[in-house]
Amino acid sequence: MDIRVLKPSDIPHVQMANITNLPENYFCKYYLYHAMSWPQLSYVAVDVSRPPKTPYDPPKIVGYVLAKMEEEPTDGVQHGHITSLSVMRTHRRLGLAEKLMRQSQRAMAETFSAHYVSLHVRVSNTAALHLYRDTLGFTVDKIEAKYYADGEDAYSMRMELDQYKGKDLEDVEMEDQDEGDAVGSEGKAEGNKGEGGAEGAKKEASAGKKRKVKVGRALGVSGLVERNETGS
Amino acid sequence: MQPLGTKENSLFRSVVKFYESKQYKKGLKAADQVLRKVPNHGDTQAMKALILNSQGQSDEAFTLAKLALKNDMKSHVCWHVYGLLWRSVKNYEEAIKAYKFALRIEPDSQNILRDLALLQAQMRDYEGYVDSRSKMLNQRPQLRQNWTALAVAHHLSGNYKSAEHILNTYEETLKSPPPKTDIEHSEASLYKNTIIAESGDTERALKHLDEILPGNLDKTAVLELRAKYLLELGRNEEAVHAYKTLLDRNTEYRAYYEGVEKALGLNRSDAASLEQLAELYETFARKSDRLDAARRIPLDFLTGDKFKTAADSYLRRMLNKGVPSTFPNIKSLYVDHEKMEIIEKLALGYTAESSSNGSASAEVNGGHSDRFEESVLYFLTQHYNYHVSRDLEKALEYVDKLIEMNPKSVDYTQAKARIYKHYGNTKKASETMSRARELDVKDRYINTKCAKYQLRDNQNVAALETMSKFTRNETAGGPLGDLHDMQCMWYITEDGEAYQRQRNLGLALKRFTSVADIFEIWHDDQFDFHSFSLRKGQIRAYVDMVRWEDHLRDHPFFTRAALNAVKLYLELADNPELGNPNSSNGTDKLDAVERKKARQKAKKEQEKLDKAEAEKKLANAKKANATGADGEIKKEDPDPKGLLLLQTKEPLEASLRFLTPLLEFTPQNIDAQNLGFEVQFRRKKYLLALKSLLAAHSIDAENPKVHEQAIRFRQFVNDAKDLPSQVSEVLKSQLSFIPADTDLKRYNLEFMKRHSDNPSHIQSAYNVRLLLDPSSKSAVESDIQKLLDHPEITLEDGLRGLRYLDDWKSDEKTKDAYREAAAEEWPEASAFQKN
Repeated sequence: MDIRVLKPSDIPHVQMANITNLPENYFCKYYLYHAMSWPQLSYVAVDVSRPPKTPYDPPKIVGYVLAKMEEEPTDGVQHGHITSLSVMRTHRRLGLAEKLMRQSQRAMAETFSAHYVSLHVRVSNTAALHLYRDTLGFTVDKIEAKYYADGEDAYSMRMELDQYKGKDLEDVEMEDQDEGDAVGSEGKAEGNKGEGGAEGAKKEASAGKKRKVKVGRALGVSGLVERNETGS
Repeated sequence: MQPLGTKENSLFRSVVKFYESKQYKKGLKAADQVLRKVPNHGDTQAMKALILNSQGQSDEAFTLAKLALKNDMKSHVCWHVYGLLWRSVKNYEEAIKAYKFALRIEPDSQNILRDLALLQAQMRDYEGYVDSRSKMLNQRPQLRQNWTALAVAHHLSGNYKSAEHILNTYEETLKSPPPKTDIEHSEASLYKNTIIAESGDTERALKHLDEILPGNLDKTAVLELRAKYLLELGRNEEAVHAYKTLLDRNTEYRAYYEGVEKALGLNRSDAASLEQLAELYETFARKSDRLDAARRIPLDFLTGDKFKTAADSYLRRMLNKGVPSTFPNIKSLYVDHEKMEIIEKLALGYTAESSSNGSASAEVNGGHSDRFEESVLYFLTQHYNYHVSRDLEKALEYVDKLIEMNPKSVDYTQAKARIYKHYGNTKKASETMSRARELDVKDRYINTKCAKYQLRDNQNVAALETMSKFTRNETAGGPLGDLHDMQCMWYITEDGEAYQRQRNLGLALKRFTSVADIFEIWHDDQFDFHSFSLRKGQIRAYVDMVRWEDHLRDHPFFTRAALNAVKLYLELADNPELGNPNSSNGTDKLDAVERKKARQKAKKEQEKLDKAEAEKKLANAKKANATGADGEIKKEDPDPKGLLLLQTKEPLEASLRFLTPLLEFTPQNIDAQNLGFEVQFRRKKYLLALKSLLAAHSIDAENPKVHEQAIRFRQFVNDAKDLPSQVSEVLKSQLSFIPADTDLKRYNLEFMKRHSDNPSHIQSAYNVRLLLDPSSKSAVESDIQKLLDHPEITLEDGLRGLRYLDDWKSDEKTKDAYREAAAEEWPEASAFQKN
């Protein structure tokens, strides 16, 4: 299985892997929103061994991690967030989830100067809990009551990303300048929202109750930002 | 522009503000206040139209916008709004026209220019896009994204030089280097680098990359590009080093290993390289116990005893760990028959080991766990279930042993269901998969499989019920609505195929149309990113997306649904009665009994569905306004069963919605070309039919459908009298692979002889025999049944034979006899069982 960064053309099968395995689903545009905002952070596991049947065979995606940067961190600290991670049942025990996570985490630190990465996991999902806590080194931050649509609680977990701070390019025998403390590169990228102006016919997100993300296929991209709380 | 009083003027401005902040009610109120005073104020009417449109009242909006234009033809606001309305209904040509009118009145308006530019990007009018972006840059050169945008416009139109020049010009205006955390700058530099590389100047691309490399924020991309350039430039030593650096970061990416191999001058197909290759991968593998790629890749190139040794240690390692995906991970090796046999022998050998030391905790061969024993049995189950190495009886034997050892295993029960599927027993397969689902009702994967197997067994209602355990059922349209909202392609397609098998053509067509609709949504999804990506500064990703969207419909999700839809439209064209809801669905007297049965079953399914739907509606009745998952106001579907779709007067024209993209984006797909011929032949577009036939012929000259179509077409051309002379000239000269004087019967016999070991070709030859000699019907019917004894026949061939009997309108007795004979060959297959 190859582990590589997600490309836009992977999205249909990433979407299928997601809706096959997990109850939290998203439409294509939400995947695009990730891929267009933080293209370095999402990774796929691909079965490359199958001989293609037609010249149009898309890569066979057997796992993915969909990741982002928190756009407006409440604690003011740059950090990444795992939106979704899954590996097909047929491809378990190969360590794919861990490998996907590690690639994504490093990119968060390297590209966006993330200090830590956070995620949510169902309290009943012991396999995932094991991966995050015991294999990767996440800690449980808190329990978020009734986080999921079906009423289940979530562990809110996080992991510091210090280990990835500026050490990788030395091998290239190039002058490698110190990363320094990165502050707010994100804010800058979002700077010129003004251009959006009369973009017009966007509809208000009538955000579903306590439900993430499933708002707005017809919305502009800005409407795709996660919403946790009730709109009304 | 119509002048307003001070009060009204400020009211008007508030209308605009309310619109922009999406406070539509307030906006409407303010607009009405203005209009009470100045009833014919065009700009206000236009703004009101825009707000109405945002509230979903498209028709009213258009009426009002047209009125506004009538009142104030010289207002850019009115034209701009008119353009926005067209854009919102996706009529981009009209929208562009309206924007251009607006710009003629107000040439410097950034808003209108931007809206025009976005549409030009969406429509791939790069010439226009360059033009608009140049104007926008001239107006606001202080914004970096205006420079980037013009560079993108040049780049996409294939003008690398201008693209690079624009980016350089901007960089020269920078007085001090941007801070290191400036992601926009970091990405812009890399974007420029990819433009240089795409222009073909790798040397300069590498030089530039080395300049921007320190501190660039996308390290993975930088390292990958650098390794690639070095390899291309033949700087092999450095390339080896670069790829090894990448492997230190990610050990599971074959492209990196291949880079090392190439840079070392190693070649997998060259025996002299093999020794070195094997050594190379051993050094990689030694680095960590957790690597898979470095251990798995050598199995691809090793042969003979070396392969056996390597495969043995790989399999033992995986099976000892109890990795359930061991088989999926190696099955691609089976294209090599020798490797397949070696692996089979090894795995069978392991069973002997595990049973010989199965007694208590014997530690003979390094000590095998129970896990090893189970893993081996599971591996063999999958081995004998795989099409290349299939022996379903053995597979069943192994899986039953496993289930006895571990009755609660979802995997084993699922494997058993798959075996039944391969037997063709859709009923047992779906029952078994349901049992697997019940073993872990919280696992959506197994739930998904269960629904899929139910659909394969034509249980549409049960499948939806299964899916509903994980869908958002409060969505408008219930579980099915949610599956559409979440663009669950596989379900929609399988649901349609199940309806197609049951002859519920309306719902089948409905589903395939939904798939095409979702592809349209996916195509529209890119629209917002034409502006969003410039703000985000992730230009390389954006260009990737644009290029993907350009060939979006070559995706197999589209192809599969589209092929089905075209076939269905062809049926409608051949038998218009099928579209008539009051007809008996094309029943012909000969197979009335069977049709009736199918119809009754379909009717029962439909009744169940209706009942379920009615109940849902009742439950939802309290919610006055049904809204979708995304907050859109859902309009009631006026044709939930696809009956209106079926009643099309021009099925062939309607099929083009599917056929045209098939032929444009997947011309190498022979099924698409086969259908292209059928549709164009019926449309009497003979040159287009010829084009598809020739395309198919060049993909596979011996394809059975090509054979049938060539003979039909030759016969037609020879007999045709009233074709325009130009057309018949082209046909005569181009249809050269089957010349005009061909003895078609003999041609057919020769085809059959050439393919005497291939049942699907023989069936095709029978079909042609009947075409050339209608009196041979009973002989052909008996031959196609005898073909069931052919040593090479597969279940798929057997099913196809039955479809030929349908095409030939054979009587029920003949088909029953066929089914009976087929049932002897495939006793488990549901399709041949009675009832």
